[in-house]
Amino acid sequence: MAHDFEQLTQYARSFTHLTSEDEALLKEVGATITPHLKSITESFYIQLGLIPETQPFLEGRVDSLKAMHTQWLESLFTTEFNASYTEHMYKVGSVHVQVQLPVEFMSGGMTLINDQLIPLIINLFGEDTDKCAKILSAINSATGFSLLTMQQSYQEASIAEELEKFLKISGMSRVLFSNLAKAYNN
Amino acid sequence: MRSDMLTSILNDLNGTSADIEATGIISTDGLMMASALPANLDEDRVGAMSAAMLSLGDRTAQELARGTLEQVLIKGDRGYVLMTHAGDEAVLTVLAKPNAKLGLIFLDVKRAASSISEVL
Repeated sequence: MAHDFEQLTQYARSFTHLTSEDEALLKEVGATITPHLKSITESFYIQLGLIPETQPFLEGRVDSLKAMHTQWLESLFTTEFNASYTEHMYKVGSVHVQVQLPVEFMSGGMTLINDQLIPLIINLFGEDTDKCAKILSAINSATGFSLLTMQQSYQEASIAEELEKFLKISGMSRVLFSNLAKAYNN
Repeated sequence: MRSDMLTSILNDLNGTSADIEATGIISTDGLMMASALPANLDEDRVGAMSAAMLSLGDRTAQELARGTLEQVLIKGDRGYVLMTHAGDEAVLTVLAKPNAKLGLIFLDVKRAASSISEVL
């Protein structure tokens, strides 16, 4: 399925209000925050480990997951939130579908991450309350943007998976299904 | 040429019984090859729906151990829809009136499906 990632980027921005000022601010404070992100990742996986339902998805993979997680956290403070980033996060969402990760794990995980980041930011920038509030808002927008684009992929991949199952059960070819859908487009 | 032959088979089939209201020959992908449909029926929808129903019929017969599918018959209070394979690559769909004599229609449809199969 072809996707318009530019359109999805704008869609994600409309919900999260991620502005170019937010992106500039994230880059500005990135150097101060980045050295702490490994410990954020460690805390995140400790928290995940306390939830029994996450165990099957973590066993034997924690180290590689931690490395990818830290890399993504760092990217929040370096990346351009453009179509390329959206496409990347969309693919991350697809991988989550492939490993059959329950959909609530993504929003739940993002809540845990924000829970870890908020005290860190207050600790690092709390003396300047105005700037601290702007950083927190920018991070909230960036993580929200990431979550929305991942979930979009999740939703579409889940539908595609269901369609695949339906075609297999019904014996319909993809072409027939497509012709059936086209016949009811008007 | 083949199109004319298919249309001719449909015309013959329509002529066998006043109970037959419409007929169509459809590819297994759901595209209409030839038809004799009233103006109020959408060719694309009849085509795609017929092929989809026959595909489901195939799977149902297989899944419920009914052997090779011969036909799918749908009965509504305003008439019948009869679908059958016409060779490996086509579906013959017939719409008939509610009081239609099905025995005769089954026979004529079987003959028409065989003729279509030969043409294709």
